[in-house]
Amino acid sequence: MSTQKRRNFQIEAFKHRVVVDPKYAEKTWNILEHAIHEIYNHNASGLSFEELYRNAYNMVLHKFGEKLYSGLVTTMTMHLREISKSIEDAQGGSFLEELNRKWADHNKALQMIRDILMYMDRTFIPSTHKTPVHALGLNLWRDNIIHSSNIQTRLLNTLLDLVQEERTGEIIDRWLVRNVIMMLMDLGSAVYQEDFEKHFLNVSANFYSVESQQFIECCDCGDYLKKAERRLNEEMERVSQYLDPSSEAKITNVVEKEMIANHMHRLVHMENSGLVNMLVDDKYEDLGRMYSLFRRVPDGLSLIRDVMTSHIRDTGRQLVTDPEKARNPVDFVQRLLDEKDKHDKIISMAFNNDKTFQNALNSSFEYFINLNPRSPEFISLFVDEKLRKGLKGYSEEDVEVVLDKVMMLFRYLQEKDVFEKYYKQHLAKRLLSGKTVSDDAERSLIVKLKTECGYQFTSKLEGMFTDMKTSQDTMQGFHASQATNLGDGPTLVVQVLTTGSWPTQPSPACNLPAEILGVCEKFRMYYLGTHTGRRLSWQTNMGTADLKATFGKGQKHELNVSTYQMCILMLFNNADRLSYKEIEQATEIPASDLKRSLQSLALIKGKNVLRKEPMSKDIGEDDAFFFNDKFTSKFIKLKINTVNAQKESEPEKQETRQRVEEDRKPQVEAAIVRIMKSRRVLDHNNIVAEVTKQLQSRFLPNPVVIKKRIESLIEREFLERDKVDRKLYRYLA
Amino acid sequence: MRRSSNKKTGPSSNSSSSSSPIDLFRSSSSKAVAKELERIDQLFFNSYANGDSGMIEPDGIEVLCSDLGVDYTDIKILMLAWKMKAEKQGYFTLKEEWRRGLKALRADTISKLKKALPELEKEVQRPQVFLDFYSFSFQYCLTEEKQKSIDIESICELLELVLGSQFRPQVDSLIEYLKVQNDYKVINMDQWLSFLRFCLEISFPDLGNYDADQAWPLILDYFVEWMRAKQS
Repeated sequence: MSTQKRRNFQIEAFKHRVVVDPKYAEKTWNILEHAIHEIYNHNASGLSFEELYRNAYNMVLHKFGEKLYSGLVTTMTMHLREISKSIEDAQGGSFLEELNRKWADHNKALQMIRDILMYMDRTFIPSTHKTPVHALGLNLWRDNIIHSSNIQTRLLNTLLDLVQEERTGEIIDRWLVRNVIMMLMDLGSAVYQEDFEKHFLNVSANFYSVESQQFIECCDCGDYLKKAERRLNEEMERVSQYLDPSSEAKITNVVEKEMIANHMHRLVHMENSGLVNMLVDDKYEDLGRMYSLFRRVPDGLSLIRDVMTSHIRDTGRQLVTDPEKARNPVDFVQRLLDEKDKHDKIISMAFNNDKTFQNALNSSFEYFINLNPRSPEFISLFVDEKLRKGLKGYSEEDVEVVLDKVMMLFRYLQEKDVFEKYYKQHLAKRLLSGKTVSDDAERSLIVKLKTECGYQFTSKLEGMFTDMKTSQDTMQGFHASQATNLGDGPTLVVQVLTTGSWPTQPSPACNLPAEILGVCEKFRMYYLGTHTGRRLSWQTNMGTADLKATFGKGQKHELNVSTYQMCILMLFNNADRLSYKEIEQATEIPASDLKRSLQSLALIKGKNVLRKEPMSKDIGEDDAFFFNDKFTSKFIKLKINTVNAQKESEPEKQETRQRVEEDRKPQVEAAIVRIMKSRRVLDHNNIVAEVTKQLQSRFLPNPVVIKKRIESLIEREFLERDKVDRKLYRYLA
Repeated sequence: MRRSSNKKTGPSSNSSSSSSPIDLFRSSSSKAVAKELERIDQLFFNSYANGDSGMIEPDGIEVLCSDLGVDYTDIKILMLAWKMKAEKQGYFTLKEEWRRGLKALRADTISKLKKALPELEKEVQRPQVFLDFYSFSFQYCLTEEKQKSIDIESICELLELVLGSQFRPQVDSLIEYLKVQNDYKVINMDQWLSFLRFCLEISFPDLGNYDADQAWPLILDYFVEWMRAKQS
């Protein structure tokens, strides 16, 4: 009620005034129009803001808002036309300055006009849905100045020319350009985009298309990338300096496309300077640049990755299949490790430790390491060398580093069981000859193998260590028990090896000299006395002996020889001449071992404690051997090695291979039975797939082997073929 | 001699006839059946059986073959053995095998048996029956205790005999392959059955539909490999 009353009162007050002065509107507008003129002419200081505001207020109040608004449009348009003319008249470089100055003026004027007409802005304009004064001022500026036919293209060309100048290395007035660009943005982002950005991007695309073509013709890959990187940075700086931030993504996109994406393949494969050369020469900086640039374009990284992968595979394949390099297993593995280190470093230094690159590297190594069937053997030999002497003087941490690297190679192996076979053989030799440098290192590697492959993989290896320890204790006990009756006889050290844990091959014991036989018998009594029900058999092919020998002029030497050699030399205590046949008969050493032992006793210069007749390089069955009276050496202690190939010979390799294959059969069968027991019915392909999956931590089973094992299981009635669908196998419980 | 063997088999013939008193009451032809059985037994003892063992032995089988006018290596003899479900190669027993076979063929004289043979041959040609006959032929060749496989040479002869007429080109190639290869010295039942399946299912000699992933025994993979190498 009360509000209604108040409104009624106000309306009455309106009517009075309107009626009072009919010429009021015209008069008032004239005052205001004059003021607008003065403002544009920089004469605003004489104007009374209060008066003008009141006039404008009253006009709106008296419903002359429409007149006021259209008057404003007309007046402002008129002024802008004038301004437009003066800008058009500006010559050359002053064009932008004039535009900028006028724009500043216009803004200032617009500010004042808006203040004067604030009441209209607040009440009349919203209710009639007209454009507010400020926006109106901008629109009129846009339509009359920026879009005027004489200015529009000139403005665009001027701006683009300036950018072009800056790109070619000249200095331009960035402040001025920035103001003009800001003006375009003030007029609305559509104006900026349509009147500048669109063209800017087109021109840039052309520019970089031409420039990149020039670069690629005359630069090598590294230089090109440097240039591209600089251009990219320049464009980003340009945006931050005088363009709208929204342009950054667009312009970098243009540069990326023109300078990188379009030339990507050519760059990567560039002769003498492409990706492969960078990898070969460890150009971390160039590689890093290539990575950071290429990651900006689609498929850029995958291109680098693919080329890198095929490069690593190629070099790796050459490395592992080169028969020259396979001659020295330790070098062979060292080369692999070097190759891995090299690429690891590249990936961490240049490729941002990219996971996909690491995976590519790993899969490449896995690919080529397994191309050489001897890789497992070589890796084990490498470890052997390291653990024999290679690690002497290394700190504990360094040892760990080496072992970790070996484990990494081990992980790439598909035939882990082959590695295990060799590792066992090498470990056995190390332990028995007492050649291992560090027990801690040995155990550390076993622990690593255990975590990698599980308990079963290492249980026998650990058994070997236990045997060594137990043997030590046993020997102490034995010597203590014999302390009284030991006298001058030989000292015996026995290592008791558990059958099955050690890779021993059954070999017939040779005939030991009587002196030794006696001690051996004592030990046997002692051992079986404490361990009833066990059986001892002597592995004479694995032992060593220290002998004291006196030669012609009474000089004494200590000879470190194998058990076989000891047996041979002991024969010469009672004879000066023995024929090959006699030795063979007396010792019963297997022929091949006998020949090798004799060879190192009689044919190695400086260690020839025996003399052979006739003199020749090989041991023949009709040869005769003499105690070499005239033997001299400056060393008191002499180690006489049996001629022994470190790397396996061809027949040994075949044999190991065969044993591995034999060992695999039951594993494949067990896997098939496990799978079929749970699945009952399964088709051939799936069995092959599952068996492969189950066994891949140890080796990669051959599908043909799997098929054979299935057939064997069918024959033994664990499985049958389905009567109807012959693809299927059924488990027979 | 003969008499004593008569006595020996006497109780067993009694026991076998004791299984048919029900028939005696039920059917009027039971007498005829008994008669027939008697004649079958007579044929067995009078003509072919060895008096000591009470079985037809290799000698007897040879006589039987000549009476039937067929060679003893003829497939028809193998079919006859199959019909009898004969267990041991070269021997037929009275109780189980001879009676079972001749009864099924409705033959109680040698001339009837001779006439029945072509019928038998026709019967064996039926696919399901043939499979049974085919696997029997393998079993029949296992002469030793616990023997599970047959040497290559015998397998070749058996292939020739059993599949030769139906799958001439396959059998020729297979035999040629078996004789040149060194991987296998014997063939087991699984492989034997797969030979038939191969002949029935795989188009020959182009081998277009042979797929090594389809759980064929390895020997057929090798055979196909050998065939393809030879063809190219």
